[in-house]
Amino acid sequence: MAQFTIPARDATSEMRYQMGYALADLANEYPRIVALDGDLRTSSGLHIFEHFHPDKLIKAGIAEQNMIAMAAGLSQEGYIPFPCTFDAFVRRFMDQLYVSVAYGNLNVKVLGAYVGLFTGKAGATHQSDKELGMLLRTPNLTVLEPGCNDEMAQVLRAAVETSGPFYLRIVRCEVGWNEIFEGYRFRIGKGVTVLEDNAPDVGLVSTGYMIKTARLAAEKLRARGIRVRLDHHPSLKPFDRELLLEMAGKVAAIVTMENHCVSGGLYSLVAETLAARGCGVRVGAIGTDPEDFIHTGHVNDLLHRYRMTSGDVVEKALAVLRGTRETAAV
Amino acid sequence: MTQTVPIPAAPDFRPYWRPFRERTTVLTDVLPFHAEYPAVLRNCEILAYLIRSYTTHSMTCAALGHPGGSFSEAEFLAVLYNYVLRFDAAHPKWPMRDVFYLSKCHACPGLYTTLALFGYFPMRDLGGYGCWDSHLESHPDWLRTPGIEISGGSLGQIPGVATGRALALRRNGPDHGDRMVYVLLGDGECNEGSVWEAFMAAGHYRLDNLVFVIDYNKVQAKGFLSQDMSIEPLAGKLRAFNLDVHEIHNGHDVSELVDTFTRLRQKRCGKPLAVILHTVKGKKVGECQYNPNWHTSAPRNAETAGRWLQELWEQDGRRLGIPPEFPRALAAAVEIVPPVHANPDHIFEQQA
Repeated sequence: MAQFTIPARDATSEMRYQMGYALADLANEYPRIVALDGDLRTSSGLHIFEHFHPDKLIKAGIAEQNMIAMAAGLSQEGYIPFPCTFDAFVRRFMDQLYVSVAYGNLNVKVLGAYVGLFTGKAGATHQSDKELGMLLRTPNLTVLEPGCNDEMAQVLRAAVETSGPFYLRIVRCEVGWNEIFEGYRFRIGKGVTVLEDNAPDVGLVSTGYMIKTARLAAEKLRARGIRVRLDHHPSLKPFDRELLLEMAGKVAAIVTMENHCVSGGLYSLVAETLAARGCGVRVGAIGTDPEDFIHTGHVNDLLHRYRMTSGDVVEKALAVLRGTRETAAV
Repeated sequence: MTQTVPIPAAPDFRPYWRPFRERTTVLTDVLPFHAEYPAVLRNCEILAYLIRSYTTHSMTCAALGHPGGSFSEAEFLAVLYNYVLRFDAAHPKWPMRDVFYLSKCHACPGLYTTLALFGYFPMRDLGGYGCWDSHLESHPDWLRTPGIEISGGSLGQIPGVATGRALALRRNGPDHGDRMVYVLLGDGECNEGSVWEAFMAAGHYRLDNLVFVIDYNKVQAKGFLSQDMSIEPLAGKLRAFNLDVHEIHNGHDVSELVDTFTRLRQKRCGKPLAVILHTVKGKKVGECQYNPNWHTSAPRNAETAGRWLQELWEQDGRRLGIPPEFPRALAAAVEIVPPVHANPDHIFEQQA
């Protein structure tokens, strides 16, 4: 019996809870799945997995380093371990992930819960908006950040069905079921074009939760007569460079959006890709400040403070477009 | 650089030693009153002598290595592979094997030699240890070296991996009930907090298929444990973490090793086992013994290697019936590769 009640499946759209259900479903299909909990199961959503598979939840205690090491050992006997703790604690187990898991190319699927600003007022110690800097530079590791529940379920399945180390960034808050389009199929290493107007002026590039913000911003830009293309990149590593370059060939300006700081994550991937190809397109970045600890506050206040709302995206897009036109006029 | 005098091949060990067991996939207890008892001890002693000698050779060739830890673990590795562990060198991934993790990964030169002696890979590979393109990395890579169970090099992680493995063996069900997981930790490694997280988890899950062996050679990388960071009272700490603690008072006495592991493998008491192995760092080479300066470093030339090999022969080789030509031939086979990189910190301009 679960220690706490679990939310009914169709009564919640919080990604953490839907993750618990999705992982429980997969464990019916793949009996070698186990989950490891760092004493956070009712927060991370793993208590739902435990409710359906009490014998498959391994409690590692408040010992994140050992949890990742144990997952490595379990994977060596053919289990598919999903260790899960707050994404912020990647700072505690990065070495285990880098050496034991990634260097050894072990079949471990780390679930980072509470990514970015969405930590339920947990404050500077729990906000995780700097971690991609190292994760995206860890060889062998696949890093995925789904933006809606349908995509999250597909991402979990892909992680189970593909051998090797994975890091999955799971947001805590409510998200839509499918923000992409009907019949969307997630593939590792691939981004997806969600919207595309004829001869677009501006390209929006989103990952994770920010797909929702990007969609709202696209509508607002269209209302102002700006033609938009929106690409969503759930696969950060490997990153779909071709899709980005294809977009860069069509638009006058790009705005990236990530639930992370604007250095080391999506913006860096985009900037590196465009610089290598000599693409002169200007890129504005939406995300938190790498020089800041994110203090406690309601997530709406934080999104406002770090200028990450759809209104801010519109403003940024207009500013980047204006900059492009001024440069062209000189 | 061209070689004017061809370097002779390292001498063959087969005239002096072969594995004690015909089949390394099965275990047989050898008790002190058994007829084979003197034979197993002698075999393990020769093996330990060969591990030290060929390790001296490979470290000198590589201008790289950790002689202190490789020498303190020599008798343990000899008894482990000769007597304690079930494995199949021809099929390193044999699914019913016992698992051995070397957690103090820097002491891999000793383990590489052991694996080569048991036939996991050719002996000649040892001469390439640490070279670009060799499968023998400075710290082991399990994707490249047969017989290595996990990649590592950052201390304190593998006790947790072993705990996960032992837990997995238990989850595998009764058909895997007989398999064991052994881990060799460094004493300095026990400074790492994550080691104690692993002990806590192993004790919590009552993993009596798991044996933590601590190579307690009293010396860490740059000093002495008692002065850098003491782990005493070690036995008391381990007991408090719910481990079943045993001490081997002379980790270089193969009879004590054989007797203890014979006893321990009859013991499933609902607790993980811990073995404190009292050893001497750099054992059997005078200048290395109990000397932090030889934690990491290797003989810089064939003369030094020759002196070490001679010293090893005088202590062990002679009484074990190894001819005096053996250490000389091994010293003559030293080829420091690549030769122009004798000092790895000096960068030649034309190569920069």
